[in-house]
Amino acid sequence: MTPRDDAEHAPSAPLLCRVRGFGKRYGRLQAVKGIDLELHQGEIHGLIGPDGAGKSTLMKAIAGVLDFDQGRIELFGTPLDSERAAEAAKAQIGFMPQGLGLNLYAELSVEENIDFFAQLREIPPALREARKAELLAMTRLAPFRDRAMKHLSGGMKQKLGLVCTLVHQPRLVILDEPTTGVDPVSRRDFWAILTGLLRERGVTALVSTAYLDEASRFHRLAFLHQGRMLAEGSPERLQRLAPGHIAQLAPADPLAAFRAVRSRWPQAEVVGPLLRVFLREGEEPAELARRAVVGEEEITLHEPDLEDTFIALLRQRGLMEERAEESGSASGDQGDPAGETRRREPLIEARGLTRDFGRFRAVDHVDFQVCPGEIFGLLGANGAGKTTAIKMLTGILPPSSGEGRVAGADMARAGQAIKSRIGYMSQAFSLYEDLTVQENLRLFAGIYGLRNRERDRRIEWALELGDLTHLRRASTASLPMGQRQRLALGCALLHRPQVLFLDEPTSGVDPVGRRRFWEILLRLARIERVALLVTTHYMSEAEHCDRIALMYAGRIIADAPPAELKARLERRVGRLLSVVTAEPLRALERLEAAGFRDAALFGRHIHLFSRDPGATGEEIRRLLEAAHIAVEGIGVQPPGMEDVFVHEILAREREAVA
Amino acid sequence: MRGRLLLWWLRLRVMTAKELIQLGRDPLLLIIIAWFFTADVYLAGSGISMELKHAPLVVVDLDHSAASRELIHKFREPHFRLLGEVAHPVEGQRMLDSGEAMLLLEIPPGFQRDIRRGLQATAQLRIDTSNTILGTLAAAYSAQIVEAYALELAERRFGTGRLLERAPVIDDRRRVWYNPNQTETWFMSISELLTVITLLSLMLPAAAAVREKERGTIQQLIVSPLTPTQVMLPKVVAMTLAILAGTAGSLFLILLPVFQVPVKGSLPLFFLVTAEYVFATAGLGLFIATLARNLGQVTLLVVLVMMPMLLLSGAWTPPEAMPEALRMVMPITPLYHFIEMGYAILLKGAGVDILWDSMLALALIGLALFLFGAWRFRRQLG
Repeated sequence: MTPRDDAEHAPSAPLLCRVRGFGKRYGRLQAVKGIDLELHQGEIHGLIGPDGAGKSTLMKAIAGVLDFDQGRIELFGTPLDSERAAEAAKAQIGFMPQGLGLNLYAELSVEENIDFFAQLREIPPALREARKAELLAMTRLAPFRDRAMKHLSGGMKQKLGLVCTLVHQPRLVILDEPTTGVDPVSRRDFWAILTGLLRERGVTALVSTAYLDEASRFHRLAFLHQGRMLAEGSPERLQRLAPGHIAQLAPADPLAAFRAVRSRWPQAEVVGPLLRVFLREGEEPAELARRAVVGEEEITLHEPDLEDTFIALLRQRGLMEERAEESGSASGDQGDPAGETRRREPLIEARGLTRDFGRFRAVDHVDFQVCPGEIFGLLGANGAGKTTAIKMLTGILPPSSGEGRVAGADMARAGQAIKSRIGYMSQAFSLYEDLTVQENLRLFAGIYGLRNRERDRRIEWALELGDLTHLRRASTASLPMGQRQRLALGCALLHRPQVLFLDEPTSGVDPVGRRRFWEILLRLARIERVALLVTTHYMSEAEHCDRIALMYAGRIIADAPPAELKARLERRVGRLLSVVTAEPLRALERLEAAGFRDAALFGRHIHLFSRDPGATGEEIRRLLEAAHIAVEGIGVQPPGMEDVFVHEILAREREAVA
Repeated sequence: MRGRLLLWWLRLRVMTAKELIQLGRDPLLLIIIAWFFTADVYLAGSGISMELKHAPLVVVDLDHSAASRELIHKFREPHFRLLGEVAHPVEGQRMLDSGEAMLLLEIPPGFQRDIRRGLQATAQLRIDTSNTILGTLAAAYSAQIVEAYALELAERRFGTGRLLERAPVIDDRRRVWYNPNQTETWFMSISELLTVITLLSLMLPAAAAVREKERGTIQQLIVSPLTPTQVMLPKVVAMTLAILAGTAGSLFLILLPVFQVPVKGSLPLFFLVTAEYVFATAGLGLFIATLARNLGQVTLLVVLVMMPMLLLSGAWTPPEAMPEALRMVMPITPLYHFIEMGYAILLKGAGVDILWDSMLALALIGLALFLFGAWRFRRQLG
């Protein structure tokens, strides 16, 4: 670690909160243990980890709304050791619990909600009006001040939640997964507002997220895993804890290459046409090239992102059970050999699919097709219409107009027979929690009419697929999210469906579990030639899909392979520039003042688009150096799916205005 | 055809097994079911009583004579309990008003004198009949006591043998059928068992169905090739089995050994009728499940449906006593037939030859309710 590590925030800024040896039990379950954490004035500190890692427990304890039994929490210099101390600290804290708008009142309007929270905090009316006006302007909620909270979009609800959390001008805001399920545009807005607050008010924020791609926005962050602190520090420091590179290559058959390298490099994954392999410091790409049968010059090396680091750290600490070598193909049978001429008629087809709920149009004339062997992604925020579209295609919900066809049959009219060709895995875990793993499998085997030896064979196959053989007698309720989802997948595949619908299959699953899950999906598509329709709100997962449809407010606003969507974006707005400086907040201010309107802050990095990256880079360097801000680097990087999504939506909004 | 039938059977079997496993893994629900079938039936049979026992009596005796004392002491335990005397009727009325006493007996001065002279003597009895049943019983018993005393006085005056020879008296010889000792525990415990069966047959299938909605598992079933009937029927079958098991427990652990209820008829017939009834009521429960979104709503709706069902069934009031309009409705409530058949089989020993029409009626009602529930379910599942 270099001396100037974390120079900008940690040592110089005053300490706001110190947590030592924090632990909490729920009954016999030790939920969190041995957590040390420090929060400094003016930083955004991130808590990262999958569901059940202990993020919410820690945040609630700091906010003074949850008793804890081990360790010590000091807030603003006073220990939180009594009800009274906690009450006193609450005056300077703003806490927003998890869940869209859960701290708000659905029937009250935007303004009434803010007034209510202001009155709770005993803010004098004159001051309240001034702050309300300021916060409403900042969040662009002013035009909606009379609208009932329940009629706001998810993003707007979160912004209102933030306003209500900030109305008493707390020194520390604690935000529990504020961006989960919020569309990417609102998510960016949310971060911009938070960054602004930091800059103007010196507010400190403790924010948790399940999106690892958001983690780069934090100044410092803590990785939590199963109630323990895995690592803590600035993103750069964490990346140095697991030194290495991501080697990226595009072999002719990514799946075959993946199988060839994974015994040597367990941290490998197929992402669309690419194979990504984590090479530890000192490992040479030469052997990788040999095993994957590509030329060494075809391998490009990249900085690992935080998700790669997280997984590498888990593996380093021996916290990851290594997966047994996969056996056979995805179905347990010999898959048909590659290259055979195949049917290309679509297995899933939406034609003008529309669904109204009262006056609200949830899905609006949606068209798309999914062919055998294709992984098709429906991307969008909560409420964009993804789930409703899937429900219509699976026959759960009749469409208001248009039709959804599966294997050539109209699902609104199709009989029960067609349903035996469909596999479905829903958003929430939808198996029986009071049944064991094996009982669940037996039930669905029976429902799909599997008997005797065929039944036993398929159940064994599903257990193996999900790595659940040793858990067959375990109660389903006791399984962590990742294993549950693999069981649900196994149940959905028992009857060898040709079509598989997956509605947010990975939400709440940790990164390791998510990777494993995608491996299975890939094998299903490539070897079994199953047509897969997957919805997700993880933009990073979209890269796994062969084709993506972006949904926004019930409509599909783009439908193309990920690479094409990115290329289209670059053609439209230019390349993505990443600027690293020592003083990101001041730098952002300068750049915004100089007319770089779309510049956004990601931790210490500032991202912006430019049609002429060379010239823009020079201009930025001149600007910042004139303001005496040291520039550490300016580089071009490929845009992510989130950039694509944000620009597609903004383009639509501009069209609508024009 | 055979293949499809086999598939249908297989699905019914696995789904029913699933319901039973789920029920078996819910300890709280099992405890509640066990409580209802045993402890609750026992309490109802032994605790709740519609007999007049220890009714508090207060006396205003303004005569203070041998005759007045004699009359007062005819009001005895176990029916009456003498609280004592008060000096003034106003004080007696206050005790009646406050509920301290249920009966107030006022004997005017000159009571004994009038009797001696062979004149008509009067005494006044005020009875609190806020509880109609107990009040009516108290009035009837008191009338009997006074009548018996009057007869006794008459006998004393005219001599025993001569009176009976001369007076035209009808000798009332009763034969009590079906429950010769008029053991109240029989009626109460059977009545409670039938109520418990009603409650659980409404509640269990409805709860099982709404739980699938709450947890989202129903979607997985809709996407599968199961028809709505294949989703519903196993719940009804499984819960019918569970309730029959509970009924057996109640009969063999409480009714027969503890209360010595005589089973005059055929037990298999009783179980058959119970199964028929549970099936009919479960159809109504599934209908409730289509209306409710969660378990709380199910519970409220079950109470809402159960109250009129009990009132219209004749469990609390005999059908003859009901107003004309309600009497017309009674035969369409399944509980009406079940109660009739339940008592008939257990206490009267009736068989199919007598009960066939009620059995047929219950079957038709059950089929109609189940089809209605299935239709609602299907419509809701689209």
